[in-house]
Amino acid sequence: MVVIGGGLAGMRAAVEAAEGGADVAIISKMHPVRSHSGAAQGGINAALGNREEDSTTAHTFDTVKGSDYLADQDAAAAMCDDAPKQIIWLEHRGCIFSRLPDGRIAQRPFGGAGTPRTCYSADVTGLVILHTLWEQLERFGVKVYEEYFCTALAVDDGVGSGVVAYNMRNGDLELVTAKATIFATGGAGRMYLKTTNGYASTADGMGIAYKAGIPLMDMEFMQFHPTTLKENGVLMTEGARGEGAHLLNALGERFMFNYAPNKGELASRDVVSRAEWTEILAGRGIDGCVLLDMRHLGREKILERLPQIRELALDATGKDAIEEPIPILPGAHYTMGGIETDKWGATRVPGVYAAGECANVSVHGANRLGGNSLLETIVFGARSATHALDYIKKIGDVKPSEKTLANERDRVGALLARTGGTRAPALRRAMNETMSANTFIFRDDAGLAKAVDDVTLVRKQFDEDAYVMDKSKTFNTDLVGAMETDFLIDASLALAAGARARTESRGAQARTDYPERDDANWLKHTLAWRQPAGPPRLDYSRAVTITEFDPQVRTY
Amino acid sequence: MAKITLDIFRFDEATDAVPHRDAVVVDVPETTTVLDALETAKAEIDGSISFRRSCRSAICGSCSMNINGITGLACKTPCNTVMDEKGVVVVDPMPNFQPMKDLVVHMDPFWDKYSRLKPYLQPADADSTHERERRVSPEDMKKLVDVANCIMCATCYALCPVVSVDPAFAGPAAIAYAYRFIEDVRDGQRKERIAQISEDYLWLCAHCYACSYCPKHVDPHDRIIDVKRASIKDRVLMNERGPRHALVVSKTIKQTGMLAETEVIQGTIGRFNVRGLLKVAPLGLRMAAKGKMPPPFVKPIPKVDEVRTIFEALEVPVS
Ligand SMILES: Cc1cc2nc3c(=O)[nH]c(=O)nc-3n(C[C@H](O)[C@H](O)[C@H](O)COP(=O)(O)OP(=O)(O)OC[C@H]3O[C@@H](n4cnc5c(N)ncnc54)[C@H](O)[C@@H]3O)c2cc1C
Ligand code: SF4
Ligand code: SF4
Ligand code: FES
Repeated sequence: MVVIGGGLAGMRAAVEAAEGGADVAIISKMHPVRSHSGAAQGGINAALGNREEDSTTAHTFDTVKGSDYLADQDAAAAMCDDAPKQIIWLEHRGCIFSRLPDGRIAQRPFGGAGTPRTCYSADVTGLVILHTLWEQLERFGVKVYEEYFCTALAVDDGVGSGVVAYNMRNGDLELVTAKATIFATGGAGRMYLKTTNGYASTADGMGIAYKAGIPLMDMEFMQFHPTTLKENGVLMTEGARGEGAHLLNALGERFMFNYAPNKGELASRDVVSRAEWTEILAGRGIDGCVLLDMRHLGREKILERLPQIRELALDATGKDAIEEPIPILPGAHYTMGGIETDKWGATRVPGVYAAGECANVSVHGANRLGGNSLLETIVFGARSATHALDYIKKIGDVKPSEKTLANERDRVGALLARTGGTRAPALRRAMNETMSANTFIFRDDAGLAKAVDDVTLVRKQFDEDAYVMDKSKTFNTDLVGAMETDFLIDASLALAAGARARTESRGAQARTDYPERDDANWLKHTLAWRQPAGPPRLDYSRAVTITEFDPQVRTY
Repeated sequence: MAKITLDIFRFDEATDAVPHRDAVVVDVPETTTVLDALETAKAEIDGSISFRRSCRSAICGSCSMNINGITGLACKTPCNTVMDEKGVVVVDPMPNFQPMKDLVVHMDPFWDKYSRLKPYLQPADADSTHERERRVSPEDMKKLVDVANCIMCATCYALCPVVSVDPAFAGPAAIAYAYRFIEDVRDGQRKERIAQISEDYLWLCAHCYACSYCPKHVDPHDRIIDVKRASIKDRVLMNERGPRHALVVSKTIKQTGMLAETEVIQGTIGRFNVRGLLKVAPLGLRMAAKGKMPPPFVKPIPKVDEVRTIFEALEVPVS
């Protein structure tokens, strides 16, 4: 079995596979502990009920409501039901969770949740879980091919047979044979200019699967997080509001109660981001921002529970959250869309799985709740490996054809051979600009049409003209960056095309020309199939699975 | 906007016998981080400039490098805090590592130090005896959370002078990670872990404080002291030179208010370890020749009681 990606989803899958007796390896473009999961601050949801009575059904309901009823309810229930067990699993393996006075795991309130359900470790939750899982890799001796960049998926006779990976240390392309391949390559925030995502969140797994004929689902749903720093897009965790921080406009008003009378600052993220943007557009912002005010939490609580974001804000803005409110604005944060899978993480191609942010299982639907995506990585990392363990027992040997490798050699060779043209960073910038201008919080047909056209043009330029300046075989990040841009272009085009076709407003997609949610026509998923040129073919054959909760009007 | 000159170490292990330097000028706001300046240089001027980075928010540990002679995170260092009056910032790969390409180094020796720790929880009782989480008090967890902030950036390792002379030394980051398990009340291998890290030359740490310059405030140096104390408290490998040295030093200071060097040497090596003592004899003879032979016995200083109260206040174990 091969797992592509060493973030939370990838490592959780690999540990499950190793414990299940599989011969498993991780291929990752970075050392696992460098993965962007480590940047997760606020926490991970599970109905442990350590602070208030809670149930997995309540968690499922909040998740489904948060998703604006686009989540598949069977998948959401599978995740929420498994959550307490997975948190205990992590705790037993040493995860350093913050504690209640009686020694049980502490939980904090998060947006869109009925009870304090988010387990955390100060504001470094992602980091501590990442370390716990990496420790388990050490324990089970899971082989990690680090600084190997996966470039393509091999599908032979209709089943996944392995991948091609580029060894960043010496420039070799290698064919890797695997009966089962699990993609866990993370999100695609780098489609946008300003994002909370790190440099490595570049849609790789999505792009690779998409090129191999697997559809991307619901790509139009991109979450814009309400509290990011203007200077560099860095996140200020929702945990800050969970601990009681306020959002203020230029008049010093806590404006959220005008939009979400009950939950205020702790409404769902899409609601808060739209409210902020509305305030800013109405001229009630300050230099294009609103303010995140933590002062009343007091020094002690800030230093104990939110020390990382205080320092991040201080570094970027020079403002100390203990003494001053921090200017923030919404920024691209989480890719709800991704590789289409079933509730076991299996794609349409046998032997190919996806888990974590690169996948779309659909548990988040049109809007993800804070604390649910760390949970998704753990639950579906494990579930995809469980399914794959079963699958590899049933099938015979696979042999990826040399053709896939030859194709990749040609593709990379062509990029390196070109001695002039447009460099990938310039192409990426053009894509970023149109995406940020036309597919941000408020969307309309004209803007989306422009985004589709612009990105289609970038696609063409990339294919004909992309130029890699570095010709070295050692650690060639210019080449890797170009391949990442290639994947991002595909993801962006799927996003823009899907957004344009979806003539309704739901969750993170707010169309000014179609302001209402349209359950009669749109309780269905968008499947985007890659075409050799131009925008994807869109298909709506997959309806939303509704089990327990009938769609209702969504208010907070 | 300011013109910033990045003076960059350039090297490709596959093709270059020796490194060279390139000066690249970028136009960026002065408050730009060194990492963003490098990104700009790579995107706009020379695509072959190579460095590691991922999070750009001081949490992934990728971007540690030497900036004007001091190792630190490029994404946490604004240019205007390090550039000279001409706007020059000098960047080099981390010391104590083999360069691979430009600012990228071979990290494997650093990761090996962790692997040797068996860095995973080994509880004393079976998980199955706990239906729910193991209970841990907030205070016990807090201790671990502080070290859990370590992002494995190797800044401290690159700064450590002992690593530079003895690559077998575990180094500050791994010792801090060992502490994370030693102090975890859920772990059942406390003594074994102390013994392991002692064998990885815990006691070689020279307490120079260089590693206190940790971008995440983990203060590995303080954790090293904690582990040494734990080692004495739990009486692990007490016959090794490290703990013997520490104990005899504090014993003589407590007794006399001064360092009784002769006794320290004997105490560290062992009074009856004739072969060991013979080994240091030439040194003693050279010192004697230069008139620097320490006196065999030291008389307590007048106010030795005051010194002793320091020991009591710090609760330093002596014996
Ligand atoms: C700043 C921030 C804060 C967040 N806070 C929270 C929170 O508090 N709670 C919550 O629930 N969620 C949070 N999220 C979301 C959550 O952290 C992510 O969705 C989740 O961690 C993604 O994990 P992953 O394993 O899918 O991907 P990642 O952790 O991004 O890992 C991707 C892995 O894939 C590898 N990879 C990628 N491409 C390739 C390739 N081509 N070849 C080989 N390897 C490759 C990378 O090396 C990496 O190891 C936050 C996100 C951000 C950005
Ligand atoms: S202890 Fe500090 S300097 Fe050392 S690796 Fe950890 S974070 Fe980096
Ligand atoms: S205090 Fe010890 S570990 Fe830290 S840098 Fe100095 S010698 Fe190295
Ligand atoms: S880029 Fe992650 S620590 Fe600097």
